[in-house]
Amino acid sequence: MNFLKIPWLELQLLLPLVGAVVAGSFSSAVRASRWTLGFMIVGMFISLGGLAANVIVQEPGRLVLGQFRLDGLVLPMLPVLSVLHFLSHLGTSKSRMTSQHCVAGLVSMGLTSAAVSCQSPWLFVGILYGMILLPLWDLKAQAQPIRGFVVYMIPVLALLALGWWSYDPLSRIWSMGFLGLALTIFGGIAPFHGWLPGLFQRASLGTAMLLVLPMVEVVGVLRFLIPQAPEWVLKVASVGCLVTAVYSAGMGIIQSDPRRFLAFLVLSQTSLVMFAVMMQSATSITAALCLWISVSISLAGLGFSIRALEDRFGRLSLREHHGHYDQVPGLAIGFLMAGLASVGFPGTIGFVPMELLVSSSAQQGLEFSIPLAFTSVLNGIAILRAYFALFTGKRPVTSVSLRMTLSERWGIVLIALLIFGAGWFSPSIVESRHRIAEQLLIGVGGRAAPAAELPIP
Amino acid sequence: MPASDLVLTIAGLLIVCAPVFLLVTFFATFLLERRLGEQTISRLIQGVIAVGLLAGLVAAIRMIFQGLAHYEIELGDWVITPRYHLKFQFVLDPLSLSYVLLTLVLAATIGAFSTRYLHRERGYNRFFVLFAIFLTGMVVAALSDTVETLYAGWELVGLSSVLLIAFFQERPAPPRNGLRVWIVYRVCDAALMLAAILMHEINGAGDFDHLVGNHAWPAHDPLLIGPHFAWLGVLFLIAAAGKSALVPFSGWLPRAMEGPTPSSAVFYGALSVHLGVFLLLRVSPVLDSSAWLAALVVALGLGTSAFAYLAGRVQTDIKSALAFASLTQVGVIIAEIGFGLRYVALVHLLGHACLRTLQFLRAPSLLHDHHQLENAIGTRPRDPAPEWEQHLPASVQRALYRFSLERGYLDSLLDRVIARPFVRVFGAMDRLERSCDRLLNGPDDPDHPAPREGGGRGGDTV
Repeated sequence: MNFLKIPWLELQLLLPLVGAVVAGSFSSAVRASRWTLGFMIVGMFISLGGLAANVIVQEPGRLVLGQFRLDGLVLPMLPVLSVLHFLSHLGTSKSRMTSQHCVAGLVSMGLTSAAVSCQSPWLFVGILYGMILLPLWDLKAQAQPIRGFVVYMIPVLALLALGWWSYDPLSRIWSMGFLGLALTIFGGIAPFHGWLPGLFQRASLGTAMLLVLPMVEVVGVLRFLIPQAPEWVLKVASVGCLVTAVYSAGMGIIQSDPRRFLAFLVLSQTSLVMFAVMMQSATSITAALCLWISVSISLAGLGFSIRALEDRFGRLSLREHHGHYDQVPGLAIGFLMAGLASVGFPGTIGFVPMELLVSSSAQQGLEFSIPLAFTSVLNGIAILRAYFALFTGKRPVTSVSLRMTLSERWGIVLIALLIFGAGWFSPSIVESRHRIAEQLLIGVGGRAAPAAELPIP
Repeated sequence: MPASDLVLTIAGLLIVCAPVFLLVTFFATFLLERRLGEQTISRLIQGVIAVGLLAGLVAAIRMIFQGLAHYEIELGDWVITPRYHLKFQFVLDPLSLSYVLLTLVLAATIGAFSTRYLHRERGYNRFFVLFAIFLTGMVVAALSDTVETLYAGWELVGLSSVLLIAFFQERPAPPRNGLRVWIVYRVCDAALMLAAILMHEINGAGDFDHLVGNHAWPAHDPLLIGPHFAWLGVLFLIAAAGKSALVPFSGWLPRAMEGPTPSSAVFYGALSVHLGVFLLLRVSPVLDSSAWLAALVVALGLGTSAFAYLAGRVQTDIKSALAFASLTQVGVIIAEIGFGLRYVALVHLLGHACLRTLQFLRAPSLLHDHHQLENAIGTRPRDPAPEWEQHLPASVQRALYRFSLERGYLDSLLDRVIARPFVRVFGAMDRLERSCDRLLNGPDDPDHPAPREGGGRGGDTV
């Protein structure tokens, strides 16, 4: 079969669902986990294959089922999403692995792939409904209270439904308002962020990260909101995102629980992506699209290290020094690498996107650049504080070896290669993202609906 | 490309690539889970520094004989968009070559010293990995011809410095002090980042060439520099003040002495503490943009020098005393820059860095010798105070003593004005958020406990 004719998107969407059925059929968690890992690895190769094929053809993919398309916006994101799910599965310890966890991971992979490639608002809304159900399932399975999550998510679902129901091309202000507010709550923009730290604390860390890190709300904003929303709405939203980024960065510094620290760091970084999107300039959207990739990968790496630590030592506190460096130096290095990459440390995947973001904010005025620089400062401090708390201090004596397992080792190697490798390949990524950003902006103000025909990088 | 240009380009790239190769080697061993032996590391360090040093000398000799004062090495454009331009470019000129040769000479000395000093020490590998990051950062910053390249090197130096301060990580104090230094560094990094943006906004690019025109450092085209550069100068000055521990950021310098002696020598005696000075020398045309900016530089330099002299007089451990002695000279060098004496400042910097490195390295054995001397003569030799101090009234002497002992109250000032209000505000917000969470979700399940409360107090490690 011709490489270019392979139905990559169909495979990308169907494989996780088939995998979920297969994994769910096993009663043994070990077998289910192995099959899940296999499906995820194949999924990664399929996403890379789709990327390669579309880059060769240089045309947006055809419409699949009338609703999904591999376009320039989504192409680099599918491999990133696959890696995210792969890392999440790899980071789950054998003792906590269940068939349900495997099914949830594969379903999440299918849903997020569908959400980013989806071209119609109503289907996007439906997929978001599905994505919201997964953490609920996880909280229920772990006998954790769901009220806090539900209180925030019911308005999201209601607003999404209202936005879809009131959608009218001639009078779009209400539907845009409903959709925008729903995505704002879903994106955790202050003051609607209360569900996110709670979810990180109560749900399994993998589930929480798989809901937040794909940042599907960014796709929603780019595809359905930016081309039609009035400019003042986006301006107000951008200020809200910036305030959230600074606030979360500050909150991250004073946390005593690594999960809450991670939640606020994730919130701060995802708000930066949303902020960049809302600024509506080619440079800022380029920055947003690059940050989207770098933040997803680096924070997935940070979460991976924290999960591995929790598997060994249980819940830790950042108020004491635990001295785990000597026991798990690989995790310590992974933690530091991923954390610093998320704040744009030179040489890492985050450097160029962060530079682009700060530079694009300067075009709007220094009143935007200064809080951004401040956010970067605070996040950097929070990361090193957490690193010192977790990995320095008096070395605890244990009777068994706590060295990294083989799967953790592979996870850290993959994270390291992505963080530094993608840092080197930043120019080509930026170039392709900039073309997409320019194309997206052609549609601003409702002149066109360009997102459906975005060029291939 | 003419043959001479090719030689200079290759030499310049070799200087940068040598430490990068070292980093890549360490990274590969980490990925492959291999551990290098002490001897292998030692040889690698020596080899890499020797290659860099040789390349630096070749470049310097070539430039002297050709009468070249400025040579650019372009690595091409990293990112180009219509509104943003990121370029990595290096420059060979008297300033960059002097500083990079100083870096390599001192790194060679410290490398050779450390292989013996840290022999069989746990963390030997870690020390040299951080040393490699530091060396890469210094070389990149020294040769940088764009503000982005300088920023990249600057950050690498900062990170490696902080992790080396926390080198003896089993004790509680080194990580705590490391974090404190990191906070100051991050603030000055933000100032440098904003300066880079402002430079892009003013010039459309981050190249230092746009500041000097066709001239070679330290000369520049006065027409290129207008009064609107003053704010840019202030941002550069804040960045330099953080990195070089100028007032009011001086409090971190004695804390940085927690690291092993070789790192204290190379960072706080010689190279890192002078990086702020180097930055001001590199952007010296900006300092000429306004008289009040130059006056501010002089005042900051002299103020730091006076403060460090006083604080140094009451130190009871040799490393802190040396650190403040370094700072005294750094202040003087900064003042020289403010006065426009660029070459004097450069020569002062080079001489001072070499002297201080030797003093730091000699410090442990000097103490030993001193104790032997005291035992031999049966008493402790007294160092009489300078005569001018004895003419001061007793109350002034007491006030100065307290001021010096408390290191100018700088740390407590920053704590009281910035750190505590920050922790108090965000702590209150955290408590509020946790209350809302409890209201919605109920109290935590004892089988799956939520983390301990008390983020409001900020925790011990803030």
